[in-house]
Amino acid sequence: MGERSNWDSGPTDDVLQDRANALLEGSEFDPALGVLVARDAQRVVAGEMSQEEFGRRYHDAYVREFGRDERPDSPDPEARLELSTDDEPSQPLVVSRREALAGIGGAAAGVFFLGELWRSGGLRRLYGAVTPPAMDGVAAGADPVQYGMVIDLQRCDGCLFCVDACRTENGLSDGVLWPYVFAYEEPGDEDPRFLVRVCQQCTNAPCIKVCPTGARHRRLADGLVLTDYDVCIGCRYCEVACPYGVNYFQWGEPASYGGTYTGARRDARGIAVDGDPPMGVMGKCSYCPLRQDDPERRGSTACADACPMNAIHVGDMNDPDSAPNRYLAERRAENDGYLPTFRLLEDLGTEPNVIYIGAPPSSRAELVEGPVSYGAWGVVEDRRTVLEGPTPWFGRIGLGT
Amino acid sequence: MSTEVIAAPPRTDDTVGTDLSRRSAILRPLGRPSRTYLLVFAAALVGLIWFGQAWAFQLRHGLVVTGLSDWGTGGGVPWGLYIGSFIWWVGIAHGGIVISAAVRLFRMDALEPVARLAELLTLAALANAGMYIILHLGRPERIVTSILPNLPQTIRTSPLAWDVTVITLYFVLTGTYIALTIRHDLHEARARLPRAFDPLYRVVLVGYREGERKKADRMAFWLALGVIVLAPLFLHGGVIPWLFALLPGLPGWFGPVQGPQFLAAALTSAMGAVTVLAYVFRRLYRWDGLIDDEVFRTLARWTGLFALLYLWLQLQQVITGAAMAPTAPGSVAAAKLASPLFWLAVVLLGATIAHTGIQMLAPDLFRVGRTAGVAALAVLAVLIDKTLFVVDGTLEPAFGLYHGGTYTPSWVELSSIVGAFAIVVLFFLLATKALPLIELEEAET
Repeated sequence: MGERSNWDSGPTDDVLQDRANALLEGSEFDPALGVLVARDAQRVVAGEMSQEEFGRRYHDAYVREFGRDERPDSPDPEARLELSTDDEPSQPLVVSRREALAGIGGAAAGVFFLGELWRSGGLRRLYGAVTPPAMDGVAAGADPVQYGMVIDLQRCDGCLFCVDACRTENGLSDGVLWPYVFAYEEPGDEDPRFLVRVCQQCTNAPCIKVCPTGARHRRLADGLVLTDYDVCIGCRYCEVACPYGVNYFQWGEPASYGGTYTGARRDARGIAVDGDPPMGVMGKCSYCPLRQDDPERRGSTACADACPMNAIHVGDMNDPDSAPNRYLAERRAENDGYLPTFRLLEDLGTEPNVIYIGAPPSSRAELVEGPVSYGAWGVVEDRRTVLEGPTPWFGRIGLGT
Repeated sequence: MSTEVIAAPPRTDDTVGTDLSRRSAILRPLGRPSRTYLLVFAAALVGLIWFGQAWAFQLRHGLVVTGLSDWGTGGGVPWGLYIGSFIWWVGIAHGGIVISAAVRLFRMDALEPVARLAELLTLAALANAGMYIILHLGRPERIVTSILPNLPQTIRTSPLAWDVTVITLYFVLTGTYIALTIRHDLHEARARLPRAFDPLYRVVLVGYREGERKKADRMAFWLALGVIVLAPLFLHGGVIPWLFALLPGLPGWFGPVQGPQFLAAALTSAMGAVTVLAYVFRRLYRWDGLIDDEVFRTLARWTGLFALLYLWLQLQQVITGAAMAPTAPGSVAAAKLASPLFWLAVVLLGATIAHTGIQMLAPDLFRVGRTAGVAALAVLAVLIDKTLFVVDGTLEPAFGLYHGGTYTPSWVELSSIVGAFAIVVLFFLLATKALPLIELEEAET
């Protein structure tokens, strides 16, 4: 992971580094600094880093590199370059600003400028108040944090505790099954096998690529693929692009269909990304981002907590020491180094971040009734059965006669 | 001017043939509205109002009032008739301006009498295509605030962002092209034009100068060149099929054949729609001398040829899906062959091809009315087949564990078809009273 150029992300560091190197060839300035600043400028735009933090972080590096830090974010107010002061005419200012930008590096400058433009409110005033979508980003050097799951299908017994726990925690509308458990049999099987279908948190996520608004995005902190409920226009392109069928649209007013949307489930960035979505907006299995924001509950999800078989393990798939990776290693050790694992529909190139322990269903797999039915939990399995709109006025007249 | 038309008994009050009478024939519809006109206008208005209340119902209660659902465990399809209709109207829009551009660039003089009707159809059909996108959305009120600010980011990867961009460009090109080519006519006929539309004429004629004709023609030539490259290669053979063809998880949509096939479908429906439109106007305004039989012969040849291409590309998909295909594409082909609607579309297109063939072999059998009827069947076939394509896509995913689903359009979705037709009818009723619908230059030849 990380080798492939990720075209749903911003320019990768490799690309930025190459560009910066090319632009700054023969200059005395350090292209690496430009790349770092550019990356964090993206974070500021995404609302994941405060302006003050941005200012503090590079102050020393700027002073070392350029002998002064004149940025508007500089923690040193004396040094800050003010854009309109009486004693400095605008013309020389533009020139000196240009010099400073040249120091940062052309590539970084472009991104930085856009970030500034956004933050200054220019675009926002033009198009109305819009939460900027978080940009997909890949951290420098080490692999980025990418949350995913290890799901032990050899342990899963199809009890559907995970389905019910998620529904309860997120207040989902009837028929919305963020985790869904398939019960199926291969030819010759006597007992059913299970497949727990959750969001696969793909590295190369088709849903992010196709979204025409940027509402479907990857959160930098943990790599979670989320939907900004305030930006989504409800075109359902993510739903048809996802090969796994994990997206569930809010077809009606949540309250009328068993849902409990409150609009209050905002993550640490202040973006509405979790819980039952509002009418006309897309939702999907989210890996409980509010839990991941909370140091006490990080690494847990409602479904993993509820699983009586301890089959679901959540964490950073790029960290060999994370809970899911440790679990994988333990299970492998128990089995003398051999453990069958797979990723779902991996040949579609989505680079899913869920590793299943067990065997994938074959093309001859047949769905069967599981040991516990959805009905027994009071869960609607076939959503179409509850998606009835209200009777139109002419229908009411018809009923009256 | 073909000899048959001159030989044909004059059905008009004017003696067709002299420039002056041709000119007055073109300007005849601009007079007082007839009773038929008012009746059709009222009927279209009722259709539009019906659709308006259906849309209001959907906005109030959400898309739950459609027949759509989630695919997978939801047992339905998230894209249905709205997207099928969107493809259909973009396809129809395609034809008008392409015919007009071809007349200009390749000197296809036979189609010159219907060039302006075709251009106007492009505008009305594109407006309908745009309306269907908005109709399809869960949160249409966010379309500007969510798409525009993020376009620099989304344009890199989202086929829907490409679509919005290319369709907007196409709309602007078409509008500019029509404005450029109509200015001369409006100026010439100003005295005969109804006062009611004066503000419109003032806008279109802003800065008009006597000698601008040559320059405007040159500009229109380059615009036509732009349109004729953009529309087939990047719109209907490009960003529209790429909405579907790039998705890895749905084998019914994925694959390079969609580009050529969407283009063939678009051109079939476009040529067919222009045929029907030309027939209606010829009948209503007794324009037998202006829109002569040769127009219909030419249009029928093109409609038949594109329908043949369309069916042939369908055959390519069915054969590769039915012979030795992997599991998922195999079930797509099987589902297609099992659907009665698929076969209905095949039969309708087959009828169009057969009709063209017979007419070419036995020119005596040619009838304008029948040609228009068959063209209408081809247009209908494209709507059926494209909606089926959209629906089948999510019902046959690569993830084969899901046990399929069903889709039946609701009354709200069906009402949109009535509404879209009403919009086209009203548009042409107004255009009939406001503009010369055949280029006056045509009368000067």
